[in-house]
Amino acid sequence: MSSRLSRTTGLRALGAGLVALGLLASGCGGGGDSGDGKVTIRYSWWGAQDRADLINKTIELFEKEHPNIEVKTDFQEYGDFWTKFNTQAAGGNPPDVFQNSHAFLRKYGQKNLLLDLNAQVKAGNLDLSDFRQGLEKAGEVDGKLLGVPVGANTFTVVYDVEAFKKVGVTPEPGWTWEDFDKAVEKISGSKKDFWGASDNGGVMYLYDLYLRQQGKAFFTEKGLGFTEADLRKWWGDHREKSKEGLLVPAKQSEQVKPKSSVSAELSAAEFTWDNFLVRYTSETDKELALAPIPTMDGKKTGQYLSSLMLSASARTKHPEEVATFIDFMVNDPEVGKIMGYNRGVLPTNAQFEAYKPEGPDAMIAEYENSVTEYLEPITPHPAGTDTVEAAFLSIYGSVAQGTTSVDDGVAQFFGEAKTALGS
Amino acid sequence: MTSTDISAPSVDGEERDDRKTRRPAPSPGPAASARRRARRETLAGYLFLSPWCVGILLLTLGPMLVSLYLAFTDYNLFDSPRWVGLRNFSEMFSDDRWWQSVKVTGLFVLIATPLKLAIALGVAMLLVKPRKGQGFYRSAFYAPSLIGASVSIGIVWRALFQDDAVVDRSLSLFGWSGGGWIGDPDWSMPTLIALSAWQFGAPMVIFLAGLKQVPRELYEAAEVDGAGAWRRFRSITLPMISPVVFFNLLLEIIHSFQIFTSALVIAGPGGGRAGGPGDSLLVYTWYLYEQGFSNLRMGYASAMAWMLLAGIAVVTAVLFWSQRRWVHYEEGGR
Repeated sequence: MSSRLSRTTGLRALGAGLVALGLLASGCGGGGDSGDGKVTIRYSWWGAQDRADLINKTIELFEKEHPNIEVKTDFQEYGDFWTKFNTQAAGGNPPDVFQNSHAFLRKYGQKNLLLDLNAQVKAGNLDLSDFRQGLEKAGEVDGKLLGVPVGANTFTVVYDVEAFKKVGVTPEPGWTWEDFDKAVEKISGSKKDFWGASDNGGVMYLYDLYLRQQGKAFFTEKGLGFTEADLRKWWGDHREKSKEGLLVPAKQSEQVKPKSSVSAELSAAEFTWDNFLVRYTSETDKELALAPIPTMDGKKTGQYLSSLMLSASARTKHPEEVATFIDFMVNDPEVGKIMGYNRGVLPTNAQFEAYKPEGPDAMIAEYENSVTEYLEPITPHPAGTDTVEAAFLSIYGSVAQGTTSVDDGVAQFFGEAKTALGS
Repeated sequence: MTSTDISAPSVDGEERDDRKTRRPAPSPGPAASARRRARRETLAGYLFLSPWCVGILLLTLGPMLVSLYLAFTDYNLFDSPRWVGLRNFSEMFSDDRWWQSVKVTGLFVLIATPLKLAIALGVAMLLVKPRKGQGFYRSAFYAPSLIGASVSIGIVWRALFQDDAVVDRSLSLFGWSGGGWIGDPDWSMPTLIALSAWQFGAPMVIFLAGLKQVPRELYEAAEVDGAGAWRRFRSITLPMISPVVFFNLLLEIIHSFQIFTSALVIAGPGGGRAGGPGDSLLVYTWYLYEQGFSNLRMGYASAMAWMLLAGIAVVTAVLFWSQRRWVHYEEGGR
């Protein structure tokens, strides 16, 4: 009796085990294409909810025109996006198409994670003929087309119009660092808990422009394009200004994150990418405007055009559909109307002309138009750029908080940059 | 440990019984059938265990062994790992941020653990006396432990301690105008410790159980002898519940070493890099995560994980060694 009982239990256990295994297997194998010829591609990007709302609308449009392609979406904030992407990519399961930027092209290009889209261009699935000037080659690295721009942006000063008017300084093309410092000094003295400028000493892209104005750059093809002494001066100057009460103290700016100091009404000027104006104006009632970066000689701003892009995974099983998707997203005028300048000024003539910018978008368009003639070729972004950028920001954060001295911070940064760039 | 004892007694127990009967009686017939039966039951036992065995092999032991190998390599997740010997380990000692993470985590363990246990014990002593609404209070104090590890609580906590938020304003009523706690490297750690201490529910429940075991007669006898409340606590309560204190201490220390989520959420968006203001909240596991998944240095991250394991092992060993001096088991030699 008991032996029979145990046999049946054994069999049942075996059965249960098999069922469990089956469930596991089917779970792992999920996500393939359904039998009706419909292809599913996965698309992910970084950004906030407002961007997601816009993108979802464009995807609806795409799916209506291409009923055989289904797009599954996923988005995170910037930092989380890349950790998730890395995890997925390491597991051999990256999204088919995803948002990308210059900083990552070489990093992932070298690891053969990005699809060379040139083949799809040749096959006629992706049309690049309509791109605005300076953008057709933006995603090209060593002859491979690793990304296609969805928006162009350039660096800027977002400033508080009223505060600058009060002290009689007009931020305009050709203004100098002297003008800027003068304005900052006057504004800082005028009101309690309000400073002339945010402390942007840790912003890699600003320091890059400052270096470019002196004929250097943040990166060369191989590594860093400046010396420890250069950086000691840059950070040292910022510390000094901060101690004189001219820049927003780190403790204050840290508190208002994720808002910026300028939209939290702590400062009158902040250096950032021009498409951030959209977000900043939505966070404050103050009148904000854009100006080019101050210069040393009244001419050279060092500015260049950068862009957010779409890249395809080298592992995608549907390169054709992915190319069709990217083509639609950059060329379709309706998409341009929906997206506006959320990711920068629209990349193709068709989209640029279809969208009539208003409010902050109009200011961005006008600003980019006004600086076009000064724009220069982009600084190289070697593999590891993202890590270096994060280290630059974070270490300067420690310096600004007073937990690290300028000298120690500079030494630490050069150590970490060396590891990150593998040089 | 207790769970395996309970879940698999029949298989183990019967097999042992069978051997006992086999030794004195070597007659072939019944012994053979008994052996067959035993074998079948063993098989069934293993079959029942198999989901857990497979789970442990595939999901815990396997990855652990792989990470042990990776700890000695340079591995970026995409190219194949390259053997570098002990370089990852030697690099840690010259890595400023690694030292910072050790310092931050050590400080957190040293302060948060005793604080949490003290609060847990204090509240448990209040709740052990029968009174009205006892059940409600117990659940209310336990609730934070249930939700404390979640991201949403981290966000609420962050909102409470920000500049010009609830805590800042309440304190300014009493003349303290310190500004928010989150962005200040000197105050972000106390915020994190407060969040951890607030989740004292789990050790509290264990303390409650321990306190209930202390015989009332001991207190009565002590009272007759004229011992005050403090004296009763020191000479009766503490020694009597010392095994429970030991258990809680061990658990909480290991737990504290692994703090991750709350630090991550409190320090908020860091521009692709962990650590909070001035790296003041750079806890160990977080730096490990950053190295592994942001900087793609999985070899270094693996080495860090093994260092953490070694660190926890040492602390645990020291605790076990020290228990001879202060933990009193009832059967023990006192």
